[in-house]
Amino acid sequence: MHAQKGAVLLFLSGLREKGVRPLFALAVTAASAAAAGQSSSIPGLDITVTKVERAATASLRDCPPGSNTVTAVTRPGEQFALVSVAFKVSQAYRPAPMKRPSITDTTDKAYNTAATFVDVGSVPEFSCTFPFRVPEGTKLKALRIENASFDLSKLEP
Amino acid sequence: MEIDRRAFIASLGGVAAVNLMDHEAKADALEHYMEEKLDAGVAAQQPEKFPTVAEIEAQIETRPFRRGAGSVFTSSRGNVKILEKMPDKPTLHDFFRLRFAPANHVLQSATRAMKTGMSEEIILACLLHDCVLSLIKPDHGWWGAQLFEPYIPEKSAFAIRYHQTLRFYADDDAGYEYPDQYYRIFGHDYQPPQYIADTYKMLKNHKWYMEPRLVTVNDLYAFDPNAKVSIDPFEDIIGRHFKQPKEGLGFDNSPSAHMWRTLSRPDQPL
Repeated sequence: MHAQKGAVLLFLSGLREKGVRPLFALAVTAASAAAAGQSSSIPGLDITVTKVERAATASLRDCPPGSNTVTAVTRPGEQFALVSVAFKVSQAYRPAPMKRPSITDTTDKAYNTAATFVDVGSVPEFSCTFPFRVPEGTKLKALRIENASFDLSKLEP
Repeated sequence: MEIDRRAFIASLGGVAAVNLMDHEAKADALEHYMEEKLDAGVAAQQPEKFPTVAEIEAQIETRPFRRGAGSVFTSSRGNVKILEKMPDKPTLHDFFRLRFAPANHVLQSATRAMKTGMSEEIILACLLHDCVLSLIKPDHGWWGAQLFEPYIPEKSAFAIRYHQTLRFYADDDAGYEYPDQYYRIFGHDYQPPQYIADTYKMLKNHKWYMEPRLVTVNDLYAFDPNAKVSIDPFEDIIGRHFKQPKEGLGFDNSPSAHMWRTLSRPDQPL
């Protein structure tokens, strides 16, 4: 990894010597509201909310995710709130059907996701991104997974 | 921007080629490579431009076949192949193996229904819901229900018949989103015809609304190119709920026997 970065830096210094302003330096990386993840658990399942983003489309995948290729698209005036959640399964986990997560906004209006838990426990660690179709500009308050609730307000972009 | 050093060097023709380049040429090559990567990254983030209904219609005369032809009658790559002959008394399993194959989508759909604890009638409906696409595509819900109706529970046939309608209507509570693939295949400005809208209105008030709705929910999540699925987990459900005729499918004088025969022998000229 260090060697790769070294090679890139070497080339970059060459560019600078030539007085070239590399276009890619202007590239903006995707903003992430990560950090400040909060953790909670239901028996045998450690759950951490890692990120909240907004997007016009959402990949429709179960949780844990496979490689389903279907995407949902927003209608005018809507956006997807994408809530990413990391899961760790311990030996104490007993597989049982889990309800789909839901979110609430700052007025306590609830929104559902199309994503479903399927085969939780089949892998020890996984991350899922739950899409919620919300009106543009909606501020999120909390995510609910079974009986656990997670504050989303600090993770809002 | 992350640079994959190996990919970059390979793009220049390998280490030997890079060693022949002077410092300025290397810098030029890197800049060019990174611009390409940036363009590709930006392009990937752009929302896909879906066709209009008119654009899709304009493609009709560019094909030697109609889009509604069942998959046993056409080939997406070159000529069609000789099909393996069906046994004298074909079973549902034989049709899965010889006419519906690979059937990956319906197997994924039924696998998901099973894993999420749905009823056996729904699992069976998911397993069969798109099989008729081998025969014909337009109104596949109705055709599919007709094909299987003599042999399966009423609820499963209802679910197969009406999943086609409910695919056009999102249902947040049930977890069904209108899929991007429908923008792609029907056009982003497509409006379902009146009979579909009327059927949807009927279904919304029907006590069995959730039967076809659950088929659509599993349908949506069954397009995973990496999924490994098999018909084996469904043998018991087929055994319990599919009334396999002793004469074989196509030879039992059922109302849909002719459809099974057509699937068996799609090369018959008349």
